[in-house]
Amino acid sequence: MLTRRILLAAAGLAAAFPALAAPELNAPAPAFRATDETGKTRSLEDFKGKIVVLEWTSDACPYSHKHYDSGNMQRLQAKARRDGVVWLTVMTAPPRSAEFMTPAEVVRWKRKVKSHATAVLIDDDAKVARAYEAKTTPHMFIVDRAGRLVYMGGIDDRPYVDPASLKGATNYVALALADLKAHRPVAQPVTRPYGCSVKYAPTAPFGG
Amino acid sequence: MRWLAAILAFLAVSTAAAAAPINTGHLSAELVSQTQGIAPGQTAYIALHQKIQPGWHTYWRNAGDSGEPTRLKWTLPSGWKAGDIVWPTPRRLPVGPLVNYGYEDDVVLPVAITAPADAKPGQAITLKAAASFLVCKDICVPEDATLQIALPVVAGPAATDPQWGQKIAATLAATPKPAGLTAVFQKKGAMVALAIVGAPLKGAEVHDVYFYPFDSTVIDHAKPQRVERGPDGLTLTLTPGYAFQGAAAPAAMGGVLALDGKAYEVAATSGPPPAGAAGLGPPAPKGAAGGAGLGLITAAVFAFVGGLILNLMPCVFPILAMKAASLAAHGGGAQAGEARRHGLAFGAGALITFLALAGLLIGLKAAGAAIGWGFQLQSPPVVAVLALLMLAVALDLSGVFEVGTSLQGLGSGAASRGGLVGDLFTGALAVVVAAPCTAPFMGASVGWALTQPAAAALTVFLALGIGFAMPFVAATFWPGLLARLPKPGPWMDAFRKALAFPMYGAAAWLAWVLTIQAGETALARIFIAAIVLALAAWLAGAAQRSAARGQRPVALVSFAALLGAAALAGVIWPAYAETSGDSAGAKSADAAWEAYSPERLADLRAQGRPVFVNYTAAWCVSCQVNDRVVISTRSVAEAMKADKVVYLKADWTKRDPVIAAELARYGRAGVPLYLVYGANGGEPQVLPAILTRGVVLRALEAAAKG
Repeated sequence: MLTRRILLAAAGLAAAFPALAAPELNAPAPAFRATDETGKTRSLEDFKGKIVVLEWTSDACPYSHKHYDSGNMQRLQAKARRDGVVWLTVMTAPPRSAEFMTPAEVVRWKRKVKSHATAVLIDDDAKVARAYEAKTTPHMFIVDRAGRLVYMGGIDDRPYVDPASLKGATNYVALALADLKAHRPVAQPVTRPYGCSVKYAPTAPFGG
Repeated sequence: MRWLAAILAFLAVSTAAAAAPINTGHLSAELVSQTQGIAPGQTAYIALHQKIQPGWHTYWRNAGDSGEPTRLKWTLPSGWKAGDIVWPTPRRLPVGPLVNYGYEDDVVLPVAITAPADAKPGQAITLKAAASFLVCKDICVPEDATLQIALPVVAGPAATDPQWGQKIAATLAATPKPAGLTAVFQKKGAMVALAIVGAPLKGAEVHDVYFYPFDSTVIDHAKPQRVERGPDGLTLTLTPGYAFQGAAAPAAMGGVLALDGKAYEVAATSGPPPAGAAGLGPPAPKGAAGGAGLGLITAAVFAFVGGLILNLMPCVFPILAMKAASLAAHGGGAQAGEARRHGLAFGAGALITFLALAGLLIGLKAAGAAIGWGFQLQSPPVVAVLALLMLAVALDLSGVFEVGTSLQGLGSGAASRGGLVGDLFTGALAVVVAAPCTAPFMGASVGWALTQPAAAALTVFLALGIGFAMPFVAATFWPGLLARLPKPGPWMDAFRKALAFPMYGAAAWLAWVLTIQAGETALARIFIAAIVLALAAWLAGAAQRSAARGQRPVALVSFAALLGAAALAGVIWPAYAETSGDSAGAKSADAAWEAYSPERLADLRAQGRPVFVNYTAAWCVSCQVNDRVVISTRSVAEAMKADKVVYLKADWTKRDPVIAAELARYGRAGVPLYLVYGANGGEPQVLPAILTRGVVLRALEAAAKG
């Protein structure tokens, strides 16, 4: 009798075992809080009612360079900002890693590449990356006015490092933002992200 | 004429050999040929050879979570044709929580080259390819090279290239090919089940099973792939990738099924799984410390010996008092036959509980729960109920009330106390509380059992139970022992009351385990429940005494029963809050250890640091004893510091699928498990379940040296 009660309790608990939560399309976008390059704390809450783009980037990644060196990313940012979209660039890199930038370095980087991002989040503890399971730089996410995750994936359909591949590419983020601007559901809400891996664990310095 | 062609061919090969590999920065690349020439209309294999710098890698056709596959763009004389790259089976390359698929060190990527039928023997042609590849370590560098190889056209079959022929042939032979496998996938809840059956998998022992998808969007590469064997094949439970979040789920899933160093190409379609792809549980882990390759007989013998030793493990401390009280009750004047019946009842209780727990565990694992042996103590309601039970036993021993004294059979005293049901219950409780610990010999056999079909698994658990119950049952059959106990008398009452205190201790220990699992708020709950239970026991005792005087205290009995039930219910419902995800174990102030995660371990190993991993749990008394007596001592801490060993603690007090999976990798299903990874990589050293300072210090020293 007693044993049975114990077994039933154990069985109930095992059945209720929660699965690991991954970011889910059309569900409320994972909340986050991070410091930007000016030292200001930013959270998704701050931008309630607005469309928010999250863009993972790394200055050490040739794929991010493909989009910045060509001006492709900045053009997309400028267009989005003109439409009232909030653009948050996320730099996930542990301190002391090759890719880590201090806030001052990020300010300089932002000026150098002429970024139009609303802010650059310094995700040095990878909390934002973990919440979104960000895999690559670039990896793009769009949150709609109601706070739901409506796009996740690549920036375009050319998963190549070669800058020449930009020509004739279909930019999924531009299409999704156009859909949202017109209050249409996003036609292509999930695509394959591509690029360098997001740096979660502390790694040895370059070459070491 | 033929002779001339041969000479020309020889000369051509000499020129080809002169084409030196091109160093592109992080690898050197060259085109190499399987044969010394090619006949008109025939196909020969030319391969891109990459010699990659240590620590760097290039990518497979599906690069995984990031990266980009190597590409070749051929420039060929008119009429010549090049096929696609024939991709060798890749390796998994974890990068933090992400996983890539690719190649390290040295790889050849063959391509079929077909000569036109009108190619002229004696002619030397040049094949050119623009190779571009992403080479990554912590960072990625796109590199490229324009490569070429000169190849003579020969009249007959060309001789094998002495340097590259064999390597390319071996690569081609090992390349995954279709092998008549039938593969079907189906979305099941949050997961995708991929069932694969066919001749190569029939009845085979399989190890290191992994499915590499061709498309990077169909599965989440970084998530573990759960494997279940069936009589005709196997079923992989995969975490679906982006493709399954889109409007239309994929209709096909192609990829490579790798196992035991072999690999097959698989083309899966969507649909219900075929018969024979599941039902036999997960495959036995390979290279698992001691757990692999055990036969049923060996495993059962190990389990029996492990069960015997379990009686000597610190884990049984909490129930030692109960056993002693039970033994004393049968001592002295008791009839030998009666003592034996009590012994057998204890044994039956232990065996039934072992089988029930094992059956439940096998069932839950089959249903997909990532749990292991000792799972019952990972559930806060179970721990809370056990704490109350220990308290009830202690109150009984203290004489507050008496279990087994029913209202009908009043006052029959010591004879009915601890009747057969009581012994059955003692046996059951002993197993529930003590068995979660892993004793020497036991770890390997239980780990093995859980990878076997149910019948074999239950046999092992039965052997374990017999070993565990044997000493106590044997004692009751040993005439000398019972005769040696003093005659019943006042000493017995005092002895029982003294034994109550270890039981109070056991209740306190379980309350501690509960607060680690469910936080401080659980402490208030268990204390209130304990007080209510004590009140119920006191009222029950009063009722028993008044019944002994011939009264019928119905109201008192009902009230006591109600309070007892309320105490139990109060610790079961509502569900306990989850404590924070951080390691639940009591954090040591000196922070000599770090919380374990597979990523952290992989990272430390990549850095060449020696690592000591302690798989432990608050409910595992043996673990706690090892921890306090050996691991947390100053000499061990100093040795770790001196040898720069990182101490990772994997706390399994709460249910944790990651730790359960890691334990399974070493053929274990329970704690304690101690692993020491050397600085120079390789398999870890597995330390015994009972540690001594000498064992740990020697292992640490060896680890620091590599």
